[in-house]
Order: sequence, then C-alpha cells, then structure tokens
Amino acid sequence: METAISVVVDATLITLVLALAAFGLAIIYGLVGVINMGHGAFLTLGAYLTWAATTSGVPFILAVAIAAIGVGIVGLIFEHLIIRHFYDKPFDTLLLTWAFFLVMTEIIKIVFGTDFRNVANPLPGAIDLGAVKIPAYRGLVGLIGLALVGGTAFVFYRTTLGIKIRALVQNREVASLLGLNIARMYKLVFAIGACAAGLAGGLLSPMLSVDPYIGNVFLVRSFFVVIVGGVGQLLGGTLVGSFFIGGSETLFALFSKQVFAQTVVFLLAIVILRFRPAGILRQK
Amino acid sequence: MTADADRRIPTVGHFSLWGLGQSEIGMAALTFIVLGLLPIFVSGYSIYILPQYMLFGVMAMSLGLLWGFVGILSFGQAGFFALGAYTMGLAMQLDLGVNPAYIGMLLSLVVGGTLAAVAGYFLFSAGVRATYFVLVTLALSIMVEQIAVSQSEITGGWNGMFIDRMSLTFGALGEISLYDDAPAYYAVLPVVVVTYALLRYLASARFGKVLVGIRENEDRLTALGYNVSVYKTGAFALSGAIACFAGALYGTHASFVAPSLGGVLFSTEVVVWVAIGGRNSLLGALMGGILVSALSNYVSTITPEYWQLVLGFIFIFVIVFFKGGVAGAVAQLPRLWQSRI
Repeated sequence: METAISVVVDATLITLVLALAAFGLAIIYGLVGVINMGHGAFLTLGAYLTWAATTSGVPFILAVAIAAIGVGIVGLIFEHLIIRHFYDKPFDTLLLTWAFFLVMTEIIKIVFGTDFRNVANPLPGAIDLGAVKIPAYRGLVGLIGLALVGGTAFVFYRTTLGIKIRALVQNREVASLLGLNIARMYKLVFAIGACAAGLAGGLLSPMLSVDPYIGNVFLVRSFFVVIVGGVGQLLGGTLVGSFFIGGSETLFALFSKQVFAQTVVFLLAIVILRFRPAGILRQK
Repeated sequence: MTADADRRIPTVGHFSLWGLGQSEIGMAALTFIVLGLLPIFVSGYSIYILPQYMLFGVMAMSLGLLWGFVGILSFGQAGFFALGAYTMGLAMQLDLGVNPAYIGMLLSLVVGGTLAAVAGYFLFSAGVRATYFVLVTLALSIMVEQIAVSQSEITGGWNGMFIDRMSLTFGALGEISLYDDAPAYYAVLPVVVVTYALLRYLASARFGKVLVGIRENEDRLTALGYNVSVYKTGAFALSGAIACFAGALYGTHASFVAPSLGGVLFSTEVVVWVAIGGRNSLLGALMGGILVSALSNYVSTITPEYWQLVLGFIFIFVIVFFKGGVAGAVAQLPRLWQSRI
C-alpha cells in the first residue's frame, strides 16, 4: 500500500515537473511550429542565470524572475536575427535551433565554466503526508507547474491575446487578413516560450547539479511529452504527455535501473509516435 | 503549366547530387592518391590518428547518403558508430577458431543494417514526418549511450571497453598484424575508397535515382508506383550498416570505446561536418568528416571553448547562406566564372 501511494505521489510530481520543463517547447513548437532544438539550451541558461543571481546575493524568487526574463530576451534576439526568416522552412529551423544550442552551450561554458554548480534549496524540509514525505520544494515546483498551465489556460481562453494566438494557430492567412500582425505575434509567442523555458530552468536548478548539458536531459523528453500529448494541445496535451512519459518512467524504474527505464520509455514513445503521430488524445 | 512542372523533375546528371558535377570523381581520385602517398612523407602521430578521422569520414558519408540523396536527416549516426565499436569489442572476446575481428566486422554490418532497417521501416511505413524522424534518431543515439552506461557488466559502463587491435589473417597464407600504425593506415584507406565508390555507384544506379526522386517529390514517386517507404528503409539500413562498420573498425583502431562515442553531442557533430563539407556531395561529406574532425582535434588543444563556438557560428552561416556547404560553393565557382565572361 505504502509503495502504491509513494508511486502515485512520485508519478504526480514527475508529471508536473516534466510539464513545467516541456511547457516552453510546447508553446514554441505547438503554436509557431518551430522544432526548437534549442529548448535544452534555454533551460540550461535559465538554470545558470538563477545560479549567478543567487550567488551574488539576489533572493531566489527574484533570481528565477531574472532568469526567465533573461532567457526570454535571448530568445527574442535569436528570433529577430534568424528564426523569423525561416518560419516557412521547419527543417532549417530545426538545424538553426540546434546550432543555437551548440553556440549557447559554448557561451555558457566560457562564461560560467564547466564545473558543477549547485543552487541552494530555497525551501528545505519535507511535507509529511502520513504514508509518504514529499520534499517541500519539489511539491512547490509541482504546484507552480500546475499554476503555469492553469494560468496559460486562462490567457488562452479568456483574454484578447489568447484569441489572437488561437486565431494565428487556426488559420494564419485569415488572421493576417483580419489585421493581426503575424510577425509580431510570432515574435511574442517565441519569446514567451523562451521565457517559460528559462523559468523552468530556474525553478529546476535547486533540484539538479547544474552543468552546461543539463538541458539535454530534458530536450528529448520534452519533445516526446509534446508529441505524445499532441502538438498544439498546449494544456491537456502537455499534462497527458508528461504523465505518460514521467509516470511510465516511475513505473519502470520500480523494476529496473533508472537509466534503463528511460530507454524503455523512449521506445514506448517512439511506438506511440508511429501509431498516433497526432498524439494519444487524437485519432489522427 | 504541365510543361513547366515537368521541367522541374530533377535530372540527376547535372543536379546538385554530384555536388561537383563530373569533376568530383577526379577530385576524389586526387584525394585518395594524396592520402595513399601521405605515409611516405609523414610519420608519427598523424599516421596514427588519420585512420580514425577517415573512419569519421566514412560515417559522414553514411549521413551524406541519407541527407544528400533522400533528404532525411539522422541525428543518430554516432549511435550506430558506437554500436559497431561495442560489437567489435564483444566479438574480439569470442574464441571460435576464426579471426574474431572478421566476425566483428560481419556482425557490425548485420547489427547496424538490421537495427536501421527495423527502425526505418517501422517509421517510414507510417509516413512519419522527416522532423519526427530526426527526433527518433536523436533518441536512438541517447538510448545507445544509456544502454552502454547501464549494462556495465557487458560494456564496462562509464569506464568504457578496451579492444585489441585486429590483425588480418589469410588462412594458411599467414597474417598481417595491424598493431603498427602504417599497416593499420593502409587497411583503413581501402575501406574509405570502397565505401565512396560503392555509394557513387549507387547514386548513378536506379536506386540512387529513385532516392533523389523521393527527395524532390515524394508524392509523385508514390503516384508513379514506387514503394517509397521501402526505398527509404533501404537507404537508412545501408547508412546504418556503413556507420556501424566504420565504428567497428574505429573501435579496434582506437583500442577503446566509451558510451560518449554514441552520445548526442558526437551524433550532431557528424551533422555539422556534413553540413560544412556539403550535404549534397559525397566527397564533401567525406572531406568534411576528415578535415573538420582533424581541425577540431587540433584547435581544441589550443582553445577548446572558442573553437566549438566558432564551429557553431560556421554551422549557422552555412545553413543560412551556403546550403551546399564547401562542396556546393566550389561547384558554383565555374558557373560564376562563366557568367562573368
């Protein structure tokens, strides 16, 4: 019984953490259709900016905000200089965002060094739920992940900006004929996606040893989250995809090593991608 | 209208497939002659390390086949490469009365080809998008790395695996040990030449023409009755087998294989080599593999971080301005010159 509860709690937490990590990608890939291979670099940069800010005495919450805004600005610059010229060529954006990853990783190495960095846990201690104990900070990050998805749902369905974005996704030509500034909207969405990734990187940083390649761990998993959940299904899709990837990883990890469990989950995700290319929620 | 559309069918002969047009064969021959004569003038470390770069070049050609001919990009070539090295390492531990290196070479071809064929057909038969294919191949290379790390009883885990240098045996005729650098060099060079020749031949054969057709207009080829997924699978299987075979030779030449050989970073380095060398030209891919990896290794000893940064910027530059890479730029030179006159 206790293992059952702890598995459920573990799976829930991993789902929410993954959803947080994948959210920036879900925005950029799902809404403007850029296969953002630089997502991992956005996460890493967010983690490093948080580390840099906290070590120079900035309170953690403010540091995360700085990280999110900083990464958002970097994303904006990258979009303006390069990506905006290639929206019609998904394959080129794939290569260019990967190049962005290569360049950004090297810049991070030059600026911050290659040693492991640790961000102090801002919320030590654990929440006692009777059967299981949840590390307090992990729980908080899970809640923030949930709040982020909920908040986006609100923006999406209850604000003018949300209507504009949905119009853009549904039919770009008609939206532009109706007077929507497509170029500006793309720019905005890209920057918001980068910002979300930076936020995730900052929030995840106390839970990991920060090194220049931590984003890599999340890159492919984030992609599988988005694809399994269904590209463009920002809210339900991200949660379902995260639950599938994170939950099954927790489950397999019960029987085998963590690394091996990840391999099995990747295989499963590939099978889903083959039979349900539009995600498990949709038929085709 | 229809006449216009018809004119857009790629005529394989002068289209970018050759990269350098007919003169590429001449340049390739020159390259191989230079490589063949090099050990006479140079010795020491260069001759030790060059075969490894040449095998990287072979891996680059395996990507060139996919990317240049079919227009499919794989981020998993290094996964196959590492798989080959591990296969060789495991085969060398066998004792079957036959030269274990031969078994390793054969096995690597079978393993790489089969894995790529299975994965390829599984995906292509469902018409999986090219961008998803990139992600799957990226996941494949991560999986190779993870399995190599986690199955440490077999692979040695993080510590890697040591592999003996192989020797060539000729039954009763005796054997040649490849322990010394010069024999090893002259054992690897023919592999490069044969791979290049084989791929060149395939390009001019029906198979290659159909592949180019798929790249240019997949729907039309399907409408003409070609089983597109079988052709794509064939190309990927061949590419996987070549990369795996090159990896097997690399393993025994470097005498060591570690999980990072199959990792994401190395896999994408291959993509950078081929992009810079010229994705539509086999010689471009080969030279990209040899020269960029050699240059990386050399400059990295002087300034590791900045070199990778420069390489990243070159990569961006190539994608934005020079799709054809160096080979494409060279191929355009005569045309530019002609237009001036």
